[in-house]
Amino acid sequence: MSVAEIAPALPRRRKVRVWTVLRWMLAFFIALIAILPVWWMVNVVFSNPGEPVSINPRLYPTSFQDGIDKIYMIFTETDYLHAYLISLLYALFTIAGVLLFGSMAAFEFALFDFPARRILFAIIMLSLMVPAAVTIIPTYLLTAQLGWLNTMQGLVVPGLASAFGFFLLVQFMRSIPRDMIEAARLDGASHFQIYWHVVLPLSRNALITLAILTFMQTWGNYMWPLIVAPSPHMYTVGQVVGLFNSPYSHQTVDVVMTANLLAAVPPLIFFLIFQRRIVEGIAMSGTKG
Amino acid sequence: MAFLDINSVTKTFGPVQVLEDVNLSIERGEFVVFVGPSGCGKSTLLRMISGLEEVTAGTIAIEGEVLNDVEPAQRGAAMVFQSYALYPHMTTAQNMSFGLRMARKAKSFIRARIDEAAGILRLEALLDRRPGQLSGGQKQRVAIGRAIVREPRVFLFDEPLSNLDAELRVRMRAELMDLHRRLGTTMIYVTHDQVEAMTLADKMVVMHAGKVQQAGRPLTLYDDPDNRFVAGFVGSPTMNFIPAKVAGADASTVRLSAIGGTAEGALAFAGFDSAVATVEIGVRPEHMRVLADGESTDAPVVLDADVVLVEELGDVTYVHLHLPDGTRLIARAERGLDSHEGRMRVVPDMKRALLFGPDGARLRPAAWTAAA
Ligand SMILES: Nc1ncnc2c1ncn2[C@@H]1O[C@H](COP(=O)(O)OP(=O)(O)OP(=O)(O)O)[C@@H](O)[C@H]1O
Ligand SMILES: [Mg+2]
Repeated sequence: MSVAEIAPALPRRRKVRVWTVLRWMLAFFIALIAILPVWWMVNVVFSNPGEPVSINPRLYPTSFQDGIDKIYMIFTETDYLHAYLISLLYALFTIAGVLLFGSMAAFEFALFDFPARRILFAIIMLSLMVPAAVTIIPTYLLTAQLGWLNTMQGLVVPGLASAFGFFLLVQFMRSIPRDMIEAARLDGASHFQIYWHVVLPLSRNALITLAILTFMQTWGNYMWPLIVAPSPHMYTVGQVVGLFNSPYSHQTVDVVMTANLLAAVPPLIFFLIFQRRIVEGIAMSGTKG
Repeated sequence: MAFLDINSVTKTFGPVQVLEDVNLSIERGEFVVFVGPSGCGKSTLLRMISGLEEVTAGTIAIEGEVLNDVEPAQRGAAMVFQSYALYPHMTTAQNMSFGLRMARKAKSFIRARIDEAAGILRLEALLDRRPGQLSGGQKQRVAIGRAIVREPRVFLFDEPLSNLDAELRVRMRAELMDLHRRLGTTMIYVTHDQVEAMTLADKMVVMHAGKVQQAGRPLTLYDDPDNRFVAGFVGSPTMNFIPAKVAGADASTVRLSAIGGTAEGALAFAGFDSAVATVEIGVRPEHMRVLADGESTDAPVVLDADVVLVEELGDVTYVHLHLPDGTRLIARAERGLDSHEGRMRVVPDMKRALLFGPDGARLRPAAWTAAA
């Protein structure tokens, strides 16, 4: 901010204060809107059945034991734990693949020149513009022809080539000085060694960011698992929650809420651990991408 | 055959020719400095020796082995970059050992090399630090250490000191000379600072516009430049160039008129080519004498000039002058010069004066050519 911008603000200090208050209030309301559903979920789960939705509702949990019982019931009487496993594997394999393929491609595109590099880059970027709804049917048909319906590879493989992740990494790797790559070359590092020992460690922050974003995306992905893995033994958490929520579900509201809460917990924990990195990551993908 | 031979090397980037017919031979153990203005192709030539840049035409050979198609790492050349190019995620020791580790050398071997290099460069206390925790001078030493552990046949430095402050630069320069003396390895050093070049070089290679203008010992280039560019580039303040017309010449002298506009005079010069109609007289500031007021002289050429500026630096005084035709001159004078303003008479030492033709080439007397 230049001096000219700050200077006239000084005499109007009161106005600035009003603004600050308004901004805080706005931020508070947005936070409230974001937190309330989650809180409501916790409230419904950890209460005597029916209490929060009774004529005299409560906004705070009343029975911890009740919640534990419901969670126990869901884990023992449904395949929820298995769905956790599937979702986790789905997320982990996707993250590993996206990081590996994205970083290898980005390494070439960001740091080396080769024929048709620009055109290929443009084509990949173009694919970012195509909505998922357009590609989902061809992708499904291809996966089906490979015989991958209801398999882990059917879930994971189509998501491995992430144009977004590629772009994020290319932008990051472009900032790696050319001298550093050349120094490594003079040091006798092979092409792969430069990638592995120099570029990957230097891209650590971008890779972590991409891993986090990929986790959140795969964990929350509902449509693709629903289409490609409809068999119960491949249900992801999202699909199981979908069953609980479906119109023909015979579960009471509090049990449905418990299923929802359990689905939301991993990303929540994840978020609390990596909060700063996620914010940085979104800022990075926002400004640079 | 010299240690390193550069033979008719040409480099083009697409349609742009960056280096043109470069020929150079470098002896084993020499400290060679490439110097020239920005963009003249110094870095490009250095990078071609290192193998980072391909040679468009011509050959580069070390010890008789043509290197054009040899991988950079196999050439036995180690490079120190201006940006240091240290790996930020590795410690000093890891940075220095990276090349040896990539070559899968034994741990004990690597350890010994690092200890040796660290000893030479006084890096022992810094081996476990990362580049982010080092000062500029220390980073530079680590970068040099990384080159030393490879025990290269030739060291390549691309403006390694230009990111350091003036004082540190002078110190690092001395350290580099000391290093060269101790290792005895051939070093090629790029800079655009001619003072740095003069201090360091056994052989100084002046480049301009993609061509080697002249190569030789620094003082040879200073005293006996091949062309106007080298004459003007080497030495500070720069050489004065005074335009003049050729009035006539015989076997041993050349008579000049309109020197700097009005003056006239003659100059001993064997076998002047009478086809040349105009010349430039090159005189270094220390070979210009400022005459005191009223002092009489029998000098062959006396120039009347306007004083523009007097720089008193303590040990020397430089007088900036304007000749009648607008040519700017710098003359070195004694301290306590009396007439700080107005007009002044200066006498160029014509025995030391050099002549340059209209194309910038040095005009050498017939006898001189044989001597040089
Ligand atoms: N990769 C490249 N592609 C196209 N032109 C290039 C490339 N590298 C260098 N050049 C051009 O070649 C010329 C010489 O560049 P070089 O880097 O060798 O100059 P230099 O003498 O080292 O200058 P400086 O003192 O500024 O470092 C410049 O005009 C530059 O623009
Ligand atoms: Mg350069």
